[in-house]
Amino acid sequence: MTTAAANTSRRRTPLSAYGAPGVWLFASALVIALVMIVLLLGAIGVRGLQTFWPGPVERIELATGEVLMGVPVRTAAYDPSADESDRFADISASGDAIEGAFASDGRPLRRLYRVGNRDLGQEPFRWIPLPEVRAIDRPAAGTLLERTGWGVFVGRPEALLVDGERTVEGADATLSALGDALDEARDRRAQIERLRDHSLGAIDRKLTKLRLEVRRAELAAERAERPDPLSGGARWGLWIGLMAFAVGAFWFARRLAAGGSGAGSRRWMGLGLACLGAVAAVGVATEHPWANAGPSAEELASIRAAADERRLTLEADYTRVLAQIDAIRGDDARYRLVIEDVSGVMAPESAERPDEPMRVSQVVRIVTPNDAGVGELMGVYLSRWWEFLTDEPRASNTEGGIFPVIFGTVTLTLLLAVAVAPLGVIGAIYLREYARQGVVTSLVRIAVNNLAGVPSIVYGVFGLGFFCYTLGRYVDEGPAEPMATLPWWFTLGGAALMVWTAIGLAIAARPRPGAEASSGQSAARWVMGLAWLGAVALLATAASTTPYFEGFFRAQSAEGSPTFGTRGILWASLTLALLTLPVVIVATEEAISAVPRSMREGSYGCGASRWQTIRRIVLPGAGPGILTGMILAMARGAGEVAPLMLVGAVKLAPELPVSSEPPFVHGERSFMHLGFHIYDLGFQSPDAQAAEGLVWSTTLVLVALVFVLNLSAFVLRGRLRARLRTSAV
Amino acid sequence: MTAMTNTATTNGDHNVEASAQRYRLINEIRRGETPEAEVHPEVAEVESVVDVDGFSLWYGQSQALYSVRMRVPRGRVTAIIGPSGCGKSTLLRSVNRLNDLVDGVRVDGAMRLNGASVYGPGVDVIDLRKRLGMVFQKPNPFPMSIFENVVYPLRIDGERRRKVLEERCRRALEGAALWDEVKDRLQESALGLSGGQQQRLCIARAIVADPEVLLLDEPCSALDPIATLRVEELIAEISQRYTVLIVTHNMQQAARVSQFTAFMYLGRLVEYGPTAAIFQNPRLSETEEYVMGRFG
Repeated sequence: MTTAAANTSRRRTPLSAYGAPGVWLFASALVIALVMIVLLLGAIGVRGLQTFWPGPVERIELATGEVLMGVPVRTAAYDPSADESDRFADISASGDAIEGAFASDGRPLRRLYRVGNRDLGQEPFRWIPLPEVRAIDRPAAGTLLERTGWGVFVGRPEALLVDGERTVEGADATLSALGDALDEARDRRAQIERLRDHSLGAIDRKLTKLRLEVRRAELAAERAERPDPLSGGARWGLWIGLMAFAVGAFWFARRLAAGGSGAGSRRWMGLGLACLGAVAAVGVATEHPWANAGPSAEELASIRAAADERRLTLEADYTRVLAQIDAIRGDDARYRLVIEDVSGVMAPESAERPDEPMRVSQVVRIVTPNDAGVGELMGVYLSRWWEFLTDEPRASNTEGGIFPVIFGTVTLTLLLAVAVAPLGVIGAIYLREYARQGVVTSLVRIAVNNLAGVPSIVYGVFGLGFFCYTLGRYVDEGPAEPMATLPWWFTLGGAALMVWTAIGLAIAARPRPGAEASSGQSAARWVMGLAWLGAVALLATAASTTPYFEGFFRAQSAEGSPTFGTRGILWASLTLALLTLPVVIVATEEAISAVPRSMREGSYGCGASRWQTIRRIVLPGAGPGILTGMILAMARGAGEVAPLMLVGAVKLAPELPVSSEPPFVHGERSFMHLGFHIYDLGFQSPDAQAAEGLVWSTTLVLVALVFVLNLSAFVLRGRLRARLRTSAV
Repeated sequence: MTAMTNTATTNGDHNVEASAQRYRLINEIRRGETPEAEVHPEVAEVESVVDVDGFSLWYGQSQALYSVRMRVPRGRVTAIIGPSGCGKSTLLRSVNRLNDLVDGVRVDGAMRLNGASVYGPGVDVIDLRKRLGMVFQKPNPFPMSIFENVVYPLRIDGERRRKVLEERCRRALEGAALWDEVKDRLQESALGLSGGQQQRLCIARAIVADPEVLLLDEPCSALDPIATLRVEELIAEISQRYTVLIVTHNMQQAARVSQFTAFMYLGRLVEYGPTAAIFQNPRLSETEEYVMGRFG
């Protein structure tokens, strides 16, 4: 045997056995991927950060004799047209061109200038071919003025006016005096905004409420005229009977499951009775929809009269506040600023009134970058960022801030988390802990994983069709085609019968410990499942066709402005919850199954029930994994755009989805969203050049938000893990 | 190669022939029969807590226990020994019905705890497990504080009074000889304890609710020799108050801690009697060979 071993000729190791050439290949693939990511993030970071840096204001003289002023944005080589290149060749030959007018390859350069002054009938951005430029200088008083409307103004401040008198003259004096004037003007503007938003807004809301009250009373009166074969008392009796039945069934099942331990079931019984009492109390308190009574004709008339009276008072208030606003406006109109462009044309109050100099209160920020130090420029830069993050958008989103956008995104994400967390976690617990593992659970898992692959726009279409137009309309107006009362009560009774059948079968087919189920028992179990399904279907039918529910916002719908029956943040967050559900389910399932078997056995060995084991051992152990899944789902939801375009994101939302008026979170309101905002700025903006910088900055904010979410997931998971896994040995 | 195989076969045949004369019971078991176990009369003289009566168990299609008949004496330590896969852990876990957690488990025959049926209809498994304490092979403290670990069985039983919890926690930790080591860090994570301390913590958890029987499933197999010694001392101490049923791989351990020993093989009980008799004067030659380490 030893000789045989010695005689075995070994082959040389073939080249293909070595991984060395492969290593370079694999590494380069990774490097390419990394470089692409770094380039993407770098581009977003650099472009996003430089948007708000104040560039110099340059004065340009052209060969044609034209003079203009603007802020350089960027410079690029280009291919000129034939006659342009002839002209440039002459210029280059004569030596009139400024330095650096041509690229190294001989092509002419052109520079994009932000020249502003749109109200003077000028394109706010302009490409200037550099060979045509005779001279460029940076005048000391060159000023970039950010205004509330019409975009920026580039020019030179001349004077301040009070009541038409020039109180200050000259560029430097005007600039230094403008600071105080600007503060006062801001105060006045804030006052006006407060009056408009709070006082006028409140009166407006009261008026709307009044109108709706009358409308509601009218609708109730209409409804009361329709007859119901069941008297109010009979309906009450039926309802209470059904509730009692439900509580009784629950108690019975519970008692059965607990194996007859008395104390626990008494507590459940108490809970059930409390629920019953609560429902009854709510029914009595609201008298709706169980009492079919509506106001009589006289009552309706008195309601109308009272409403009219109150409307008059409110309208008087409205006029009074308007007068206040007008007074402040009049005061505001006394202070004006004269600022002229290169050709000496003054910035007007509005394009329609070219003779009136602009008001001081129209100024948002005044930048004189040419003689400013780095510190001053930095101040402007930071204040622009601050405005961007905390202010509302102006000029159809091309100026101002994105605060409502960030706010909408964060609210949406939080609502999404609130919706998806219980759904996903409970679903995963059932799937992993309670359901018998087999073909059905495998199918469910495959289906869940497939859900993750469905294009998100499909969710958008579903959300619009189901949440907004079906569920929302139901909330608003009640069922579209209500059933007649008697068949409806039969449906409900059928559901009750199904529940009892299922419970009875559950008793009959109760598994005996340690024994295999007989064929009769498995058949009974199947029938039981069908009975539960039937009960759920009948209950769903009953709920969706109840003749006793007329919707919560019927009056608004009757006016043609649906409340929940349209796009809004609640439906958007539910749609996204559906979209991110697979992420949460998969993460939770993985986390649950990672809890060691020994922990569960230890808990069962102590006499814990399955639920106690889940609640005290499994869920805390799976916490980090569940949390990570949740945050990943939130990050995914925060970055989603396509479904949101369908179910609620808008270009400009008039109100934030959270406010100080009850119910504080307004699920029916539309909202703004970072992803949609980027799309809107990039492709729907009236002034693409002005919006470009904002696209980058908004993208930077979105990326930062998602990054922060992911980072917090990472940190949280690390911390929880450290707490759970400090095992010795 | 062929020569070697031949030799092995011959040896094997020789062994079988030799053991055919010496190991009567084991050979019957190997043939798939279930012979009556050799039970010493001393066992019958003591009052029993757990009464296993013709108990069989199947994991799906494969049978793990064959009509086991065994009475666990009250207030004593009873050890179950036997080679791997002989069903000793399965028997232990049948007492508190932990095998119910495995899919497709089926049982036959009877088991009684203090006269009450364990597998009868209408038995509340939760309640049953509360009457038994169990310690596992690998220390499995829960990821919570030492205090919460010990009072876990009380918590799930709905005990909320702080005073009671603290008192019973202290008593259990003293009973598990752990109190002096952990009394100053009861609120710290139990996962920070050493392996031996963790196992004693698990014992404290098992005795905090005053179980009728303490089930120990190879409690020292994951511990180092010194920790093992401490746990063995602890078992001896605990046995003055509780009935203990211990499964062990370690023959010396069985000899040291138990008063009765059962020897199992392939799901059948082979010999059962006082520990001294089993180790020094067994009735069956196969038991003698096994405890001497010459078999199994």
